[in-house]
Amino acid sequence: MGEDVIIVKDLVKVYGELRAVDGISFEVEKGEVFAFLGPNGAGKTTTVEMIETIRTPTSGEIDILGMDVRKDRTEILKRIGVLPQEFSSFDRLTVRETIVYYGRLFCADCNVDHLLKLVDLEKHKDMLYMNLSGGLKQRVGIAVALVNDPEIVFLDEPTTGLDPRARHDVWEVIKGLKKQGKTIFLTTHYMEEAEVLADYIGIISKGKIIAYGTTQELIDKHFQHVHVTIKGAGTNVLAVAKAMEFKAKAENGNIVVEAVGNDQIIDFLGQLKARNVKFEGMDIRKPNLEELFLMLTGEELVTEDEVKE
Amino acid sequence: MNLNRIFANVVVDLKHFYREKSTVFFVLLFPILLILLFGFIFQGQGDLSYDLTVQNLDDGPFGEALLTNISYSGIFTLDEVDPDITVDVQYIEDNSINTVLIIPVGFSDGILSLLDNSTPPAPVPLTIYYDPSNSAAQSKVQILGSLIGYMNKQLANTTDYIYLDQPISTASEDLEYIDFFVPGIIAMSVMSSSLFGTVGINTELRQKGILRKLATTPLTRPEWLLSNIMYQFIMALMSTSVILLVGFLVFGLVPHIGPFMFLFIVLNVFSFAGIGMLITRFVKEAESAQAAANAVMFPMMFLSGTFFPLEMMPDFLKIIAQFLPLYYVNEGLRASMITMNNSTILLSAGVILAFAIIVFILGVLLTTWKDD
Repeated sequence: MGEDVIIVKDLVKVYGELRAVDGISFEVEKGEVFAFLGPNGAGKTTTVEMIETIRTPTSGEIDILGMDVRKDRTEILKRIGVLPQEFSSFDRLTVRETIVYYGRLFCADCNVDHLLKLVDLEKHKDMLYMNLSGGLKQRVGIAVALVNDPEIVFLDEPTTGLDPRARHDVWEVIKGLKKQGKTIFLTTHYMEEAEVLADYIGIISKGKIIAYGTTQELIDKHFQHVHVTIKGAGTNVLAVAKAMEFKAKAENGNIVVEAVGNDQIIDFLGQLKARNVKFEGMDIRKPNLEELFLMLTGEELVTEDEVKE
Repeated sequence: MNLNRIFANVVVDLKHFYREKSTVFFVLLFPILLILLFGFIFQGQGDLSYDLTVQNLDDGPFGEALLTNISYSGIFTLDEVDPDITVDVQYIEDNSINTVLIIPVGFSDGILSLLDNSTPPAPVPLTIYYDPSNSAAQSKVQILGSLIGYMNKQLANTTDYIYLDQPISTASEDLEYIDFFVPGIIAMSVMSSSLFGTVGINTELRQKGILRKLATTPLTRPEWLLSNIMYQFIMALMSTSVILLVGFLVFGLVPHIGPFMFLFIVLNVFSFAGIGMLITRFVKEAESAQAAANAVMFPMMFLSGTFFPLEMMPDFLKIIAQFLPLYYVNEGLRASMITMNNSTILLSAGVILAFAIIVFILGVLLTTWKDD
């Protein structure tokens, strides 16, 4: 077991009547990618900004790299790197100038060329920030978060608003950081992002952590069943499932059946075969985080509007 | 305080400035436009046509002859004052005159005795009053000097018969409009570029989330305040240079450029960049912050004697002016650039220094990186 580099205990942030963060506790181990997953307004950014020392907690403790956020702000800032939510930079500075500028703020001897290579921006180094695409801008933000060679990197919604291609590019950069052994604190409302990148996941809803563990642990803990999806089948499949007392529903023209354990799956498929039911295809999978979140909160993680982006 | 971090900020600000052509236009060309516009509108009194006020106290022929000669030169239009009137500094101020030539009593007798060679040669003096803050008056004294030199040559080649006595300065506060206007326009330009520049940078960086990012770097708030002030000071020097250049090229204004002028510009920047910081501390939304900056700037512009001398205004406005920081910058710059009135310089410098310190300290104490 590695050491805990972030320890949050009973953290509370109150704005007027609103308890934005309502008594949360968790730890992040050195070298792991921790994903803080939750819908917009759940308290993710408020929490992460308190850890980054730029918001003051109402109560509770935050210990980061063995230091207290309230007392050791200057020292903490030297050892962490931050990509804020909706990062943006000076429009009329080039990529290279932007990185050099932030490097000078840390008085760090940052190796600009190395950083450019790390985030794959060598070709764009002389472009003005304002002329970059969204994905490239985020990569500038990540490079800037690394100028002081930080031990912990905070990435607050690094791929929000990016197209799938740009999102995957950013993921590759984050995987590269993980390989370097950096501890990464990621906030996101994309379940897939957490699944792809995170070792540990904390799910936050309405200011409280409602689930905490590895992806596998969370799924195994909350779901015993698997989803057996029968594609291109008629309602007779539904009838078979109901007859066997399985939970089942029609979804986008497919039938999704919940089965617990291999025996149930084999029995169900056997019944289909015995009755000579025709279908086009099938897959069997564990429920994902999206479904976990829906089950735990009754809320969608990503709303319709965001899908359209 | 870390200078490296401060300079890094100033460099970024400057790059941003010169890569944005519209701000270059506003910082440098707007003051030029103002100075040309107001300069020409109010310059219409025609002082540059060299009117010369003269008083002939001599009762002999030579005084009259001298005046005839001066008027024949075609350079001056003479305006004669009755010999019974006492011409002194008070009279000159009351009548808004910038140069007076007085031919003293006994001028003809003096010349006659020189011509007789009955006494040892002693040239006869002419008295001149002039307003040193007036560029036209200075030219007039010079031209008169060379005219008299020429007349001396005509009268006799060897000795000077007449000379201009040491010109007497009226040290008048009755300035030419352009003398009055140029320091005012410098004060106003520096105020507006510092105020709006600071409000603009703050709100822009806040909206873009750059302030939030800066909060996660070791850059401290006082360092950031200072770097902004340094940047605004560089802007101020640029607009001041442009204004002085236009003032000289178009209106022939040659002010005193000394340490006090720079002091007032620095304090002007500190005061209004500080006010800008405080505005954006409490008014976070960009448009409201702009409106608040306007609300600060307009009374300053019109009530602190930028465009028009305060003497022209009703008493209650004069009292209000004394509560406006820009009034002291205006007074201080005018005193240090034009009239060289030391007591005004010191008084204004004291008031605006105290104000700048208070605003800057408030700015440091009240503004933090944190959002809450």
